[in-house]
Order: sequence, then structure tokens, then C-alpha cells
Amino acid sequence: MHLKLFVLSASSVVLWLTPLVALDKKLDIHKALQGVSLTAAIACAVTAGNIARELSEQGEIEEIKARAITADVVDEIATSAYISQQQRQQEAEQILATDEEIDEQEAELNSIKESLELLLNQSSNDSAELAVVNLSTRQHEQIELILQCHAKGISGKNKILKEVWGVSAGSSQAYRNAKAEYEYLMPFIKEEEEGG
Amino acid sequence: MRAMYLANYFVAGCIASSLLGWVASLHPYAFRAVLCLLATIAIAWGLSWLLDFSLSKLLKISVADLQALLISGLAMLLIGLGVFLCT
Repeated sequence: MHLKLFVLSASSVVLWLTPLVALDKKLDIHKALQGVSLTAAIACAVTAGNIARELSEQGEIEEIKARAITADVVDEIATSAYISQQQRQQEAEQILATDEEIDEQEAELNSIKESLELLLNQSSNDSAELAVVNLSTRQHEQIELILQCHAKGISGKNKILKEVWGVSAGSSQAYRNAKAEYEYLMPFIKEEEEGG
Repeated sequence: MRAMYLANYFVAGCIASSLLGWVASLHPYAFRAVLCLLATIAIAWGLSWLLDFSLSKLLKISVADLQALLISGLAMLLIGLGVFLCT
């Protein structure tokens, strides 16, 4: 199409100028040849113009198509970028929500732990009471005697051991047994003193 | 390509002017007829300049395009007749 266009354009110019310049004016058919040549030149020029206009319109359509495709591609890229951003945001929100859940679970565990500790303390107190209850009559008597010693102002361990158990300080087995029993009774004595 | 088709139409206009000169050269009556035609074209051309806004609305083209058409028409006529007369 382009070749045809260029050939028609060139021939129109040649057919226009050549008969006017080159033809011998003495020839009988001079005028007729000029007329035919000019008519043909006009036809060539108009045809070439029509072809060029058609090609120009096609080029414009192609340009519009290219612009539309570019716009589509840009739109698609923007859409995919928006979607990926939304996905990342959702993932981040999910991670944050998981952290919050973990915090809640930790808080729950802490509260359970605290309640268990409370329960444990309570049960240990109860067991201590039970131990007091389970003390023998002799041990109760010994506690009372120790308290009486304390009331009298006797606070030394050896003196108390001598007063209550009747053993003197030394390395005898009786003394060691008495000392062990005294140390076992010490918490109960303190409790009795604190309790009044 | 737009310039190409405009150039081709311009050349066609120039050749048409030369053809008009060739017709005028055939016979004295033809010469007078062509002169009358040229006079008519000249009057229409001048009126087109005076009524360019109305004409642009009538032809549904911009005033600038109409003025470009008028100038290129004059150029085509001058070039075509000039080429015919000079050869």
C-alpha cells in the first residue's frame, strides 16, 4: 500500500510537470497530450491522497488501540498491586490478632496459675492445721512447757531442752533427739505465740 | 501519513489549476470562461474570509481550519497557474 502511494504521488508530479516542460510545442498533439497528462496527474494525486488518508485513519485507530491496551495493562497492574496490598494487610491483621490471642491465653494462664497458687497455699495451711491437730498429747504438753519457759524468760535452747526434756548439752543421743524434736516443734511454738 | 495525504491533495489542487490554465489556452472563449470562473472563485474566496465564522459553523470545522483551507487554496491556484504560465 505504501509503495502504491509513493508511486502514485511521484507519477502525479511527473505527469504534471513533464508535459508542460519537456513537450515540443510544435507537435500537433501537444495540447492534447498536455490535457491527458494533466488529467491523469490529477487522478493519480487524488488516488494517492485517498490512500494516504485511509492509512492515516488506520494509524490513528492502531494508536487508539495501543493506548487502550496500555491503559488496560496499567489498570491491571494497579489492580494486582491493590489486591496484593490488601492481602498483605489482611495477613498482618491476622498476625496481630494471633498475638492478641496469645496475650489473652497468657493472661488466662496467669490467672489459672494464681488461683492454683492460692489453692496450694490454702491446702498447705490446711495441712499445717492438720499437722497441729495430729500432734501427740506429749508434744502438746511439750509445747505448753516451752511456752511457759518463754513466759518465765528462759529463751536459751539448752536451758529449754534441760527444763522440758531433762537433757544437758553434749553429744549424747538423747540430747540430739531432744534437739531434733524441739526444732520440729519450733514452727508450732511460733504459731502459738503469734496467735496469742 | 496525515501530512502525506494533505500534500497529495495539495498537489492535486495545483494540477487542477494548471489544467484550468490549459483549458484557457485552448480557445479565446475558453479563456474568457476561465477568467469568469477565476473571478467567481476570487469573490467566493473574499466572501469566505468575511464570513469565516458563519462558514465554519456551516461546514462544522474550526475557523483556523477554514482559514488554512482558504490560504492553501490560494497557494494551489497561484502555484498551478504559475507553473503553467512559466513553462
